[in-house]
Amino acid sequence: MNIELYLQSGIVESYALGLATQREVDEFEQLLPHYPELKEALRDFEYHLELFSIDNEVPPPAEVRQRIEDRLRELPAIPEARRVIRGDLPDYVAAKETSEYIRVHKIWRTLFIVVFVLAKIFLILAIYFFIRYRHVTQK
Amino acid sequence: MEKTITKDLLKNELYSDGRPAGELLYSRYSGMLYSYILQFVSEAEAGTLLVDIFARLTPQLNEAFDSSLSVYCWLQIESRKIILEHLRKRGDEAAGDRGPAVAASYFSLLEDALPEHQWVFREVFLYGKSKEDLALESGRDLSYVTQLLRECLGMIRKNLG
Repeated sequence: MNIELYLQSGIVESYALGLATQREVDEFEQLLPHYPELKEALRDFEYHLELFSIDNEVPPPAEVRQRIEDRLRELPAIPEARRVIRGDLPDYVAAKETSEYIRVHKIWRTLFIVVFVLAKIFLILAIYFFIRYRHVTQK
Repeated sequence: MEKTITKDLLKNELYSDGRPAGELLYSRYSGMLYSYILQFVSEAEAGTLLVDIFARLTPQLNEAFDSSLSVYCWLQIESRKIILEHLRKRGDEAAGDRGPAVAASYFSLLEDALPEHQWVFREVFLYGKSKEDLALESGRDLSYVTQLLRECLGMIRKNLG
């Protein structure tokens, strides 16, 4: 793809101003990670657009702020789970356990059977030798 | 202090001290968005639209953080959708009276453009028409409309600096 021609088509401006069609948006977002030139052009345009908007901002009437605050107070808080800042994510996901069962590796089943059978054998041997010992002692 | 705000900075500020997201968004973007809205509607309607925009977009802020766009561009694009939806509902595609901020709007970046350029940008940006619809309505060739729009966008980029 000729990125220079693609940039000249006005795709970056179109995308940042919301004038691109869904097909153009999809294509642009697919290409974005692969072409640093696109990313740079987008950042540059966004930066200048924001500066232009800051220079030309018009303060809304005072009562608008109160109305917005009233509406926002009615909104539910942002979910706590989303408050973790990306990059600070822990290596695990905190989850609330609701099931009464636990899941373990399959090898524990075999080990449990082996231990169970050995325990039974030792128990039988213990009883056997105990009886033999009592028998010999009585004699 | 930087003039523009990055996503990470905004996220940190929004979530670090427990302040409601809306307050910071308001102090940072309300003036910019109000000026933006005034390109489409009169002052009488702009206030109500700004309230609506903040109420609807604040809970969706995580979408902005996940987007490839800057927070401000995301806000603008989503605001424009709400404005165009409002205009369609009231059945006034002509966008009504313009507010006092028109001189400072994107159209000020097209002051030196030909009337044809301004027409294409107005129809596409302000009235939300597609290039295809515009070409069909006006009886002009789609490639001609596309070229005019491309030139408009080039002028805007150049005049932004």
